[in-house]
Amino acid sequence: MQQQEIQHFLERYFHANNCEMIESGTGYLTVQLTIELDKQLMNRPFYWHYLEKTGGIPNPMQLTMITNPEAAPKTLKGETIHFGSPRLHQIFESTKKLAGYIRLYEKHQNTFGQQTPLRPWLGMNVRISYQCDRKRDVFRSIGLQLINGQMVDGFHGKLLELELTPKIPDYSFTLSPLIMPKSGMIRIQHFLQNEIEKEDHTWAEEATTRWQKDLNLLEHFYEEMEEKEESYEIEKIALKEQYEPRINISIINGGLFYLTEDAFQRSIGS
Amino acid sequence: MTVQINFDSTWQNEFLHRIEEDGPWGSWELYKLALEVENHTIIPEFEGLQAPKHLSSLVPLPHQLEVAKQVVENMNGKAILADEVGLGKTIEAGLILKEYMIRGLVKKVLILVPASLVTQWAIELNSKFFIPAIAQRKSYVWEQCDVVVSSIDTAKRNPHKDIIYNQDYDLVIIDEAHKLKNNKTKNYEFVQNLKKKFCLLLTATPIQNRISEIFNLVSLLKPGHLGNEADFYQKYQKDSRSLDDNEYLKELVNKVMIRNRRADTGIEWTKRNVETLPIEFSKEERELYEAVTNLRGDGSWISSSQFSVMTLQREACSSREAVFFTLRNMLQKKEEPTKEFQEQIQSLIMKVEAVQRNAKAEKALELIQQINDKVIIFTEYRATQMYLQWFLKQHGITSVPFRGGFKRGKKDWMRELFQKNAQVLIATEAGGEGINLQFCNHIINFDLPWNPMRLEQRIGRIHRLGQEKDVNIYNFAIKDTVEEHVLKLLYEKIHLFEKVIGDLDDILTKLDFGNIDDHLIDIFGRSSSEGEMRIKMDNLTSMIQFAEEMKAGEVNAATGNSALS
Repeated sequence: MQQQEIQHFLERYFHANNCEMIESGTGYLTVQLTIELDKQLMNRPFYWHYLEKTGGIPNPMQLTMITNPEAAPKTLKGETIHFGSPRLHQIFESTKKLAGYIRLYEKHQNTFGQQTPLRPWLGMNVRISYQCDRKRDVFRSIGLQLINGQMVDGFHGKLLELELTPKIPDYSFTLSPLIMPKSGMIRIQHFLQNEIEKEDHTWAEEATTRWQKDLNLLEHFYEEMEEKEESYEIEKIALKEQYEPRINISIINGGLFYLTEDAFQRSIGS
Repeated sequence: MTVQINFDSTWQNEFLHRIEEDGPWGSWELYKLALEVENHTIIPEFEGLQAPKHLSSLVPLPHQLEVAKQVVENMNGKAILADEVGLGKTIEAGLILKEYMIRGLVKKVLILVPASLVTQWAIELNSKFFIPAIAQRKSYVWEQCDVVVSSIDTAKRNPHKDIIYNQDYDLVIIDEAHKLKNNKTKNYEFVQNLKKKFCLLLTATPIQNRISEIFNLVSLLKPGHLGNEADFYQKYQKDSRSLDDNEYLKELVNKVMIRNRRADTGIEWTKRNVETLPIEFSKEERELYEAVTNLRGDGSWISSSQFSVMTLQREACSSREAVFFTLRNMLQKKEEPTKEFQEQIQSLIMKVEAVQRNAKAEKALELIQQINDKVIIFTEYRATQMYLQWFLKQHGITSVPFRGGFKRGKKDWMRELFQKNAQVLIATEAGGEGINLQFCNHIINFDLPWNPMRLEQRIGRIHRLGQEKDVNIYNFAIKDTVEEHVLKLLYEKIHLFEKVIGDLDDILTKLDFGNIDDHLIDIFGRSSSEGEMRIKMDNLTSMIQFAEEMKAGEVNAATGNSALS
């Protein structure tokens, strides 16, 4: 992410959270936080606790961020934001937290008077992390139609081509799911696990070999000790944490999407 | 091979709950943003660095990228970076720091560097890596700022020490870490007690393959990994150099240390032009020098201390001010001086006063006017430094002084003055370390240090990465003096000036023959004749040549990782 991309990202983030932009220019921006965002970002629980107890007038803070110290006014005081800065990490986390769950309807252009059925989809965006002493992530977006069980890979990309709205459009009705969301999630989970198990796991074997080599080395330095010291066990655990291969699947976000029957055909055709 | 798969189920429970409660639901815009964030923070391959993609104003060199990659992928963030001087260890450390910050693994960072480099580190991290590093000036900084740069001397003192001990650092970076080889020092103890997850030790001096050094440095990085100290030394004799023979130790060192040599990097270095300028004393200067030299034959008060004669001789080759300063000190320090002593000093001071010109200074002036560009003059003596400043000013040339004893702020200020306002920087020996002056490409060695390593450090200030022009080095040596001997016999014989920085430290550390200063004092101070002096000098230079050949042989034989050669 280059510095101007960060600036653009921040502008979108605060806009989406209904924060008033007080000032923004090349390399910096100042925003008025909402109460909700102040609570999330500014880390002052005592203030908010006190306010709620006493019933005072809430006064959320303003935040100035500098994305390019060279371009921003010299006298401006604010936080320098860079890719990797804790503040940006915090905002990334907040973005995920605020948008973890969603429900949207397709805004279709069907003719008046005709009732359009919308089919329920379960969409899940996941990060699969392959971890040992190194790490690799894979992003997967899976959609499951909750009536016929059709599964779609790259679901989010397809959604981006549709027009979606949080309110059910006029002249539409939703069909009830035959597959309950709970079992839908299990299907997706099984699907991913099956796929992963079929993958080539040479990386894990290699990590185990490296692990064993390090263990041998450690063993060598302790081999003549009759009673091994505590530090030996500590080192051993540290090596396990460092090398042991494992795969973590975490869900970034997801939700329910009510789409027309031919939602994807149309988007592919157009 | 089956690998354990963990599926995070917290999301699912909350989702079902929200379906039941009919919300609350997030906004579509934020939902999309969250996935864009994901796209940016994902690490698509086991290998490779993320940081370079996010650094538009930096193009790291291939060997720097390789080091960062090694440390992150294979060394788990615990490493000794031991590249030769001037290969950009700061950049390597910055890359590693940035990489860990991007991966969200590092937040709280402590960077300990020599006082004179604190500001420069902070500036580089900010401008090249967009890391908001703060140069420590107030004690609250330790707690409030995430990335702090400080000198170890400040950090290890209270009240700072106690505050620092209370911080949990994700990464600690220590520049000039060769100062931590000895585990009995305060510095060592201080670093050992820091709470740290990852740790980088930067040093230009290679580990000298001494078992104790290895034990101490590795124990800083991986406490407990080598078992206990007593057993370890029993197994590998403390001062032995048998490291090369032991596969385990060799493997261990390769796991924690990376060393790039200039030759391995394939970088085109600018040329070094070395010119030696022999200078004739004026008549009075010669008389002073002879008078000082004759003290040795006297059998009187001063000859008991060869060092003083040598010192005075060398000073006489620099400036009369330097000689005067030493003479005055001798007089003041002597308790109940005899009349004879006082008379002898007085006669020398008379000779000093008779000197009206400084042949070297005149030559320097001529050279500076001819170069008509920025010049650094190095001298061993403060008195000479002050004299030169006065002398140049008389001739309309602006100069700034530089000394190791300057406080950090003053060093920065002087460097800046030199860059922007003055033509000449006059530095004493101690000022040679820890300042980077790539914007200048002329050095005058007004007098020569006896330790070739120190000379390398001087030249290393300007002949480093970032120097775009060829570097010109002018060595002044007065004819028929001890100075000319050193230059001719030692420096020229081992072709010191043609070498690039760093080769020499390898050569000298390989020779386990003690302090080179001591050898020189012995040669020049204790030899009773010219002939003896020459023979001893020949011995010394052939030892150095021998070490060089040894090294050349090793390079040919080396395969793969050469960290241990």
